[in-house]
Amino acid sequence: MDRLLYVAMTGAAHIDRAQTVHANNLANVATSGFRADLAQARAVQVNGDGLNTRVFALAERPASDLRQGALMETGRDLDVAIRGEGFFAVQLPDGSEAYTRAGELVVDAVGTLRNGAGYEVLGDGGPINLPPYASVTIGGDGSITIQPEGQGAEALVQLDRLRLVRPEPGDVAKGVDGLFRTVDDSIVLPSSPDVGVVAGFVESSNVNAIYEMTAILELSRQFELEVRLMKSAEQNDEAAEKLVSVN
Amino acid sequence: MMSSLWVSKTGLSAQDTALRTISNNLANVSTVGFKRDRAVFNDLLYQIQQQPGGQSSQDTTLPSGLQLGTGVRVAGTQKMFSEGSLQTTEAPLDMAIDGRGFFQIIMPDGSTAYTRDGQFHLDSEGQFVNAQGYALEPSITIPPDADSVTIGADGIVTAMTRGSATATQLGTIELVSFVNPAGLQAGGNNMFWETPASGSPQSGTPGQDGLGMVLQGMLENSNVSVVEELVNMVSVQRAYEMNSRVVSTSDQMLQYLTQNL
Repeated sequence: MDRLLYVAMTGAAHIDRAQTVHANNLANVATSGFRADLAQARAVQVNGDGLNTRVFALAERPASDLRQGALMETGRDLDVAIRGEGFFAVQLPDGSEAYTRAGELVVDAVGTLRNGAGYEVLGDGGPINLPPYASVTIGGDGSITIQPEGQGAEALVQLDRLRLVRPEPGDVAKGVDGLFRTVDDSIVLPSSPDVGVVAGFVESSNVNAIYEMTAILELSRQFELEVRLMKSAEQNDEAAEKLVSVN
Repeated sequence: MMSSLWVSKTGLSAQDTALRTISNNLANVSTVGFKRDRAVFNDLLYQIQQQPGGQSSQDTTLPSGLQLGTGVRVAGTQKMFSEGSLQTTEAPLDMAIDGRGFFQIIMPDGSTAYTRDGQFHLDSEGQFVNAQGYALEPSITIPPDADSVTIGADGIVTAMTRGSATATQLGTIELVSFVNPAGLQAGGNNMFWETPASGSPQSGTPGQDGLGMVLQGMLENSNVSVVEELVNMVSVQRAYEMNSRVVSTSDQMLQYLTQNL
């Protein structure tokens, strides 16, 4: 069998995977705090007998795009968005720490601050508990101030400060649940005073819809090219068969 | 089959849910005491096709893996309990709450529902009832010979009766608040029910403990902002179109494959 057929086949199969990455980005075009995944293809040479002519394609997701999404004004006290780089820290049910950009915070029945996905939001001193309050204000550095229920504006109580971290590029990667985690257990992320938040805003997904649409169209054309190559391989085989046929 | 088809399908159904939330908000743009909903999206699980850092040979590791996302889901809808604007109606039985509180309504089955809709009426016995005829709790009855009814900011209801120079105190309206009002279950008819997520109701006198004053002759408008909903609708529609475009592109790729091989 012609090896061309298999090279073209791996190309088509990996285009399908890259297409899935872009389809997932577009499906999350309205998910607040979502970071777009990048897709790239890598050439992998097949070493073996004879000439090293075959190079297979391998689709990869090297990283997520960490650019800032647009800030959407909501006016809700517990909506917070990070300005520039940085992440909110959340605690998973198993006690481990993960990072997210989604800041649609809610207070649960016992007063614990959680994010929109239901994970406990961490402050510098661990999970944050809000006593019954008349109003809540989240400052530009993430500090949370409440006016306790039944008391006046003079009785403001400062609680904790949201734990905000600023990892180096490459120190965090997206996990299977869409939350970011440190790539290595040895990396400890201290709370960073440089990360600023703005209350009353939600950060939109940073998916660039035009780029994703273009990438999808480009990949679909490449796919047709691979199919054409498979077709050519078939035609080559047919021609070779004719040459050697006795009739 | 192509996984991008199923990923885009989750995008389509999520945008469909978002549009349904928006249309419900817009339909209730002039419903007294209505609180708008917001659809919250989460990305679905990722599937690892190649583990980053996995061994590519005995001495080398893969620099980056391949994790494929599986789409989006609607994590839930959040009720936004921001206060709507107040409207003066001059109707003596209309009430608005300027604060976090809720009125309590006794349902026919004896349970208590909570509402911000202060359009009250009188039934045949002179009792305060809402538009469905369910009584306000604690029950307040206006005597038949009352000339005028006054509801104070602290919830005290008084009536002037014919032939009497002093006002008669009829009762006090109590309000309740919740730790997490967004956890209340919306039950239609402008009413909410307590859930484990909302916490238990804390009742009190209007104007104290942050419950808010009761304002007679006023109503709280719906907190839906038409402009915001229309902008959301535009972005939802375009997101829907882009996801359906991915479906048709994937379809064309499959079609090309089946027709040419």
